[in-house]
Amino acid sequence: MEPIAKPALDEVLSQMWAKFLPQMEERVAVLDAADQALAADELSIDQRAAANAAAHKLAGVLGTFGLTKGTILAREAEIIYSGEPETDPEAAARLLQITALLRGMIRNRNTMIHNRK
Amino acid sequence: MQHRILIIDDEDDIREVAALSLETVADWEVEVASSGAEGLAQAIASQPEAILLDVMMPGMDGPTTFRELRKNPATAHIPVLLLTAKVQNSDQRRFSDLGVEAVLFKPFDPLTLAEQISQVLGWS
Repeated sequence: MEPIAKPALDEVLSQMWAKFLPQMEERVAVLDAADQALAADELSIDQRAAANAAAHKLAGVLGTFGLTKGTILAREAEIIYSGEPETDPEAAARLLQITALLRGMIRNRNTMIHNRK
Repeated sequence: MQHRILIIDDEDDIREVAALSLETVADWEVEVASSGAEGLAQAIASQPEAILLDVMMPGMDGPTTFRELRKNPATAHIPVLLLTAKVQNSDQRRFSDLGVEAVLFKPFDPLTLAEQISQVLGWS
């Protein structure tokens, strides 16, 4: 069998992305809720663990769908959420920024990938 | 040459992209399982040529699943490649020390995943 051409694989990946978009958005929502709680100094241990897991999953998958920068940002969020539980205002602000960037990338993934071609 | 591989990963997006990649890019026969326990049972029943095993899974995680695969005479011979999003050196060393064939990293490139696996396993 001839290897599949990259454009054909990209097309299939875009279709698969559409299927999993709600799952990606749900992970961002988990991060968003944790960011808000952290900023208000109300982040629970469970919520921190959930945010850590959501960031880890995003870091592991976004690059596979062509969003390499998304993987880097999600990994940064994962590191922050796996660190000290005390509220660090700078970290809280950075997390809000990361989550906003991730939300934008995820929403516009297909356009971004298409424009790169 | 067509190969048969089992993917064990609890995340359906990763599982489906990896399966799609190996089926379409390399024309391999792919089976999937969504947990360590399911993967173990499937490996015993279907005897794949290799297993691509996620590290972080609820219940039986990747390292535990690998140890169970090695303990069982029916699966002890099957090469296992770990798939992880953990990038810290300490994690990498810990996984390599388990005795797996290789540790592959997420995110992977769907276009080259089969090639990576082939290189590790000496499949041409």
